[in-house]
Amino acid sequence: MRKSTKFIGLTGVVMFSIVALFAIFGPLFIPYDAYKQAGASFQPPSASHWLGTNDMGQDILAELAVGARTSLFIGIMTAILATLIGGIVGVLSGYIGGRFEQLMMRIIDVVLTLPYLPLMIVVAVYMGPGVFTQIFVITLVMWAGKARQIRAQTLSIKSAGPVLAAKTMGASDFYIFKKHILPGVFPLFIPQFVGAVNASILMESSLSFLGMGDPTMKSWGSILYYANSRSGFLTDAWIWWIIPPGICIVLVVLAFSFMGYYLEEKVNPRLSAYTAAQKRVKQQITVNEELVAQNIALAVRDLSVKYPKNGKFTTVVSDVRFDVKQGEVLGIVGESGSGKTTVASAIIQQLRSPAHVPHGAIYFEGRDLQLFSDEEIREVRGQQIGYIAQAAMNALNPVVSVEKQLKEALLAHQTLSTKEIDERIDEALIQVGLEPKWRYAFSHELSGGMRQRVIIAMALINKPRFVIADEPTTGLDVMVQVEIIQLLRKLQRELNLSMIFISHDLPAVLSITDRLIIMKYGHIVDEGPSKALAKTSTHPYTRRLIDAIPLLQPRKEEVRDVVH
Amino acid sequence: MSFIEIEHLMKIYGHSKSDKVAVLKDVSFTMEQREIVGLIGASGAGKSTIGKILAGLEMPNKGTIRFDGHDLTKMSGRERRAFSKHIAMIFQDPYESLSPRMKIRELVEEPLIIQQIERDKQKRLNIVREALQVVSLDPDKYLERYPHELSGGERQRVGVARAFVCKPKLIIADEPTSMLDTSLRLELIALLKSMNEQYGISYVFVTHDIALTKGFCDRIIVLHEGEIVDEGMTDDVINNPTHPFTKALIHALLTLEGAHE
Repeated sequence: MRKSTKFIGLTGVVMFSIVALFAIFGPLFIPYDAYKQAGASFQPPSASHWLGTNDMGQDILAELAVGARTSLFIGIMTAILATLIGGIVGVLSGYIGGRFEQLMMRIIDVVLTLPYLPLMIVVAVYMGPGVFTQIFVITLVMWAGKARQIRAQTLSIKSAGPVLAAKTMGASDFYIFKKHILPGVFPLFIPQFVGAVNASILMESSLSFLGMGDPTMKSWGSILYYANSRSGFLTDAWIWWIIPPGICIVLVVLAFSFMGYYLEEKVNPRLSAYTAAQKRVKQQITVNEELVAQNIALAVRDLSVKYPKNGKFTTVVSDVRFDVKQGEVLGIVGESGSGKTTVASAIIQQLRSPAHVPHGAIYFEGRDLQLFSDEEIREVRGQQIGYIAQAAMNALNPVVSVEKQLKEALLAHQTLSTKEIDERIDEALIQVGLEPKWRYAFSHELSGGMRQRVIIAMALINKPRFVIADEPTTGLDVMVQVEIIQLLRKLQRELNLSMIFISHDLPAVLSITDRLIIMKYGHIVDEGPSKALAKTSTHPYTRRLIDAIPLLQPRKEEVRDVVH
Repeated sequence: MSFIEIEHLMKIYGHSKSDKVAVLKDVSFTMEQREIVGLIGASGAGKSTIGKILAGLEMPNKGTIRFDGHDLTKMSGRERRAFSKHIAMIFQDPYESLSPRMKIRELVEEPLIIQQIERDKQKRLNIVREALQVVSLDPDKYLERYPHELSGGERQRVGVARAFVCKPKLIIADEPTSMLDTSLRLELIALLKSMNEQYGISYVFVTHDIALTKGFCDRIIVLHEGEIVDEGMTDDVINNPTHPFTKALIHALLTLEGAHE
């Protein structure tokens, strides 16, 4: 958790405590009755009346303190009710499912369309205006939203691993509900409750301001209502009559928003990793002529990447150094946590925000990408370096056709006529072995292999010279894996691409790469020409990786002999 | 009579007439005690569905499953739940299948509590410790830890311990190695094999990687679009595949292997 979040949360607690103390003890210490005349009308603030008096000569500070009780009572009561009702309906409809769920969801849909102000007017006619009418109406409009969110959470827990596992153990519905569903959903109740307090205090204020509150009880909203209807704005009195209740409302809403901010980060720890990205400005970049002369497309020099963890920095990539020649395919192999994907992200300057690069240079065609401005790097990404991201095939937009997604990738970098766009899309699809008719398809109509082909087409549509493919075969069946590798190899030769192929799957990498880098814990532990490395490397880690590949055919003996 | 007899199993997903998909069309096979059977196929072949039906996560639309003489498909919900102590499952994803709120002790203990196998706390803890020892995790070191403090390989061992703790007769292992790093895959397979030899547990091993079944499975069954297309002793199927799909599968693997010979 970030320090700033804790501070914000604490500020919220302090602000709320001040208001709560004021509500509890204020009426005991303020020597005036909020409902009785305490002095002359429209008196400005003075030693005897700190906030002055209103048109009826009532002390405004006393009114505020009594109003705080009403406003907070309504706010907290409705929040409790709305969260409880919403929670119970949400959990039950998510867990029971079937007809019950359908019925509940339709009811929720209807309730969500109810406008609370007209509803209040109608209900107030029958029930009479009053605190409980307000609680009733605000709860009525608020529970549905909570129910929907809690149902969504219940559904995701219901189909998650631990519940399935418990089912295979023969657990009863009651056990699963008690042991897995409730503990999983409950943490969501607290931020939901905090948000509900906020919303209901605001709703109460606006209802009271419109004169639909309890006429016999003072609340912040009703103070505003009377100030407005009894011409508070025509005199100077608005300064001490209208501003203080306004400040009170803002204070409570802010206090709960702050607490909510803290709680949300507590429930969802991923938020705490967020920090704003730095803006990169344009600067003069000198070209490293030596690299250009040697035909080196990409040169990574002493690259290190660190991530903050528990207040300290952990090095995930350390002093990585390699070259990719023009037209060469380099494989980066490593198991999870070896830093291979981090290297790829660093190359295209897409490291997530808390990552920190203490030193290192990444020369793309002689120029250090680290020094590029945001606009320059956008030009490089997609246009000069195509990137096939890990699991990207599962991230195709499900509601946009293949054609539109390819077009988007194309137009991000160039302006073309409709005809040119059409031709380029057809060309790209044919290149990856898909018939042009598939341009109208949506991702759910495609098999895994076809989706991966679309992703490759997307990476190649701007005719980049360099391609980075991160785990392009993972999650595919063996047969499709072979197809994709053959496709990448064919494209690489035809288009004379330089390429980095990242994978944890050695057989896949061996069949396509010229050279290999083996990474472990952020270090390069072994490197060399792919086939020689597989056969003759004596590095124990490389050997372990290669020997761990299950084979259909026994390894040839002479390979073993070299090793031992 | 065989230990497990599966006859004419059929499973259809989807409700409306238009989107009905038969993921299993009339699948029948048998298994003996102590046998390890590999279910091979591409995604969508129906291999995982068979595993889910055996583990009680899905009900077949048609067909019977006789397990040690008991017909699983004719049981009431309560009877089937009680029977679950004989059939355990190891899941594909060691990250997602262990509740992050439970300690390793609680996770491995859960089947014992659900099946009410041992009410005495101390005795139950001893069973848990024994199960952790079987999967080579030191109980003193791991009992009080949470899953997020463990590596993927260690977590999957916890998953194996959890499946083992009730001493089941059959374990369904659904792609248990696919989320693990290459260097850990064979270790896990070796662990499963040793449990088979020592405790006589049968396995249904679901995988798309036929190479993993070599040396592990006694017999393999190749599924394609919801039907069995090839079956036999593992080496026989690998060396002499009969169906075009099996041939293509093996050819693809050999293409990959060819790269580093």
